[in-house]
Amino acid sequence: MSVKYIPVQWNPNKWYYDAALLAGVVLFLWVFIYLTPGALGHDRPINPQIHNARAFGACAFLMLTVILCIGPLARLDRRFLPLLYNRRHFGVLTCAVALTHAFYVLNWYFAFSATDKYAAVLEANTSYGQLAGFPFESLGIFALLCLLILAATSHDFWLKFLTPPVWKSLHYLIYPAYAAIVGHVALGALQDQQNLTFAWIVCVGAGLVAGLHVAAALKEQLAGDYEGGGGDWIDICATSAMTEGYAKIAQLPDGDRVAVYLNEGRLSALSNACAHQNGPLGEGKIINCLVTCPWHGFQYNVTNGRAPAPFTEKVPTYRVRVENGTVMVHRQANPPGTYVEPVPLPSAEGAV
Amino acid sequence: MKKAPFFVGYLPVPRDLRVFLWIICALLVVGAGAAGYAVGSTQDNPGDGAFRFDYGRQTVTGVIELTPLPLLHVTEGNDRIPAGRTLMMTAGGKAGVPDRAAPLEGQLATVSGVLLERGDLDMLQLRGGQGGLRAAEGDAPAVTPEPLGRWKLTGEICDGKCLAGAMRPGRGLAHKACANLCLTGGIPPVFVSTQPVEGAEYLMVTGPDGTAMPDAAYDRVGQFITVEAEITRHGDLLVMAIDPATMEVSD
Amino acid sequence: MTGGEFIVRLAQIWLTAGAVTGALFLTIGMDRIDEDARGAYVFRPLLVPAVLLIWPLVLWRWFVLETGRDNWAARHRPPRKQHLVVAIVLAGLILISLTAGLMVRQSWPGDVAPEQLTRAVGEGQ
Repeated sequence: MSVKYIPVQWNPNKWYYDAALLAGVVLFLWVFIYLTPGALGHDRPINPQIHNARAFGACAFLMLTVILCIGPLARLDRRFLPLLYNRRHFGVLTCAVALTHAFYVLNWYFAFSATDKYAAVLEANTSYGQLAGFPFESLGIFALLCLLILAATSHDFWLKFLTPPVWKSLHYLIYPAYAAIVGHVALGALQDQQNLTFAWIVCVGAGLVAGLHVAAALKEQLAGDYEGGGGDWIDICATSAMTEGYAKIAQLPDGDRVAVYLNEGRLSALSNACAHQNGPLGEGKIINCLVTCPWHGFQYNVTNGRAPAPFTEKVPTYRVRVENGTVMVHRQANPPGTYVEPVPLPSAEGAV
Repeated sequence: MKKAPFFVGYLPVPRDLRVFLWIICALLVVGAGAAGYAVGSTQDNPGDGAFRFDYGRQTVTGVIELTPLPLLHVTEGNDRIPAGRTLMMTAGGKAGVPDRAAPLEGQLATVSGVLLERGDLDMLQLRGGQGGLRAAEGDAPAVTPEPLGRWKLTGEICDGKCLAGAMRPGRGLAHKACANLCLTGGIPPVFVSTQPVEGAEYLMVTGPDGTAMPDAAYDRVGQFITVEAEITRHGDLLVMAIDPATMEVSD
Repeated sequence: MTGGEFIVRLAQIWLTAGAVTGALFLTIGMDRIDEDARGAYVFRPLLVPAVLLIWPLVLWRWFVLETGRDNWAARHRPPRKQHLVVAIVLAGLILISLTAGLMVRQSWPGDVAPEQLTRAVGEGQ
């Protein structure tokens, strides 16, 4: 939200978030790498390079599984929204862990050969026509590339430069990446290990991701925002449905969503898409006369859609009117930052 | 829904949410440790194969035979590798020694290097250059393979070096690409039989009629398969010439 | 050149083009199209990996912003409609991957014994 870009905008909650994140990752890796070799009781130990590759690989899989659960969980229960707040740091760390896994694999299984190791990982196994023995490394490479693109474009600059919809579309790559990773594990580690513990963990984790996504999408579909229709002025809701400090969201005929707020007894309408990451502004609330996004707390003046100085973000505004006890919005959005005079909500007695 | 505490990242966390978030954090961190232990402590046993640096450098002399990959029939051994043993050989890394051994076919050669050992399976990793493999003086006795007939075996094709202990684990499908890389580098393929064949659990793999392992077999490396093969005894090592047409993934 | 070497070469060319784009964009382009970037230099190295990877997208956006073709309304149209499709496809792919992986999974057939089909020529019957 700062006027000038800086590498990372820290605040106490981000410190807590990252501390918990690091604690979890370090604990997983420490236990796996230093504690379990003693517990295994093999005649001779697994090569440290392979042991480490497995530790980082399993860690990356679980991290990505948790990351992918956060989105649908937050849509099903708003209390999970704080986990979404700093999810980009989680993603960048996951990418680093996955990259470490790849380096261990590359510098062990594909090293010590006359063939260049990067070429070797692409061509040593070409049995693409079969499931068992499929070159599952290629699925891992694809997923790693996706994670690299996501991590590399995580700075807020990219959101503004690419625009939130393009950035979001690009970050949809996480879904093919996760599907590829499940395939990578299913055709790699799960084929190899006779012990089924990891297979169970993978099935439960991936099943959770699949189930939560379908549940959240269905919930959104069923509870879908009211779709207004008609002429230029679109019905939103009855005036009695408005709550002070909160918004009503409706979908306009062109698919855009509008959020109509009641602030100090007067109505104003903004685009529902936050200028930062297109978060659902209408699901936020008004704090000190400023609409506050539930995702990252970006704020906008409810009358003109402008972030308070020194910030410069702007969202489109809409014209509002009240007719026969119904709140209506003009379907044509005003350019971002356009002031619209708030419309007083007729008193309850007057509306009846 | 609107009564739910509203979290703003840069403001203090609402009191109602604090306990919930602490519980989530604790669950995730403890869960991470537990998952690390669960996954790490249930890895399969990689076997007892290893580089035997503790034996010191081994130097023996014998007759080179090409199957087409080279074998050494030891005629002048030492305590570890007595005369009469048949050794598979490899260079350092993922490379075999076919080019170095080919000119010495049927002749005596002295080889020197470090032994890799896994149960009955052993392989000598030769030093580079003349120090690892050189012609030796003397008359080479003739080497006569003994045919043992056609067999149907169940097991897994691996690269002999990783299997013997260059990697632990050095077999299985997660290791398949590495095994392919070793095999194309000239390292002898080895078949792990489910049960011993004429006393041998590990057999060296070739193609039919003195050819190298056929390309079709690369698709099956690391899988559990059934295959028919002509087996011959070369010294104390069994060599199986697989018939790729009979190769089937085992149930 | 083998297939693997060819792909590695392509990747090198892609990254080189990204490096050239990055050198131009991070020194000249950024200041022209984003006022928040003017005078801000510490964060720029963080952007290098992304330019290396997605430089065609960078060039396209640079062109759009430089030529004033940016459409403000498009900035506020998140791709939300795809949620359900994405969720179903993702769930389907996960299910297929895991089922396929578990179906072809093998256990060591340790109970299958070697079988001699024919005896060697000349061997006693």
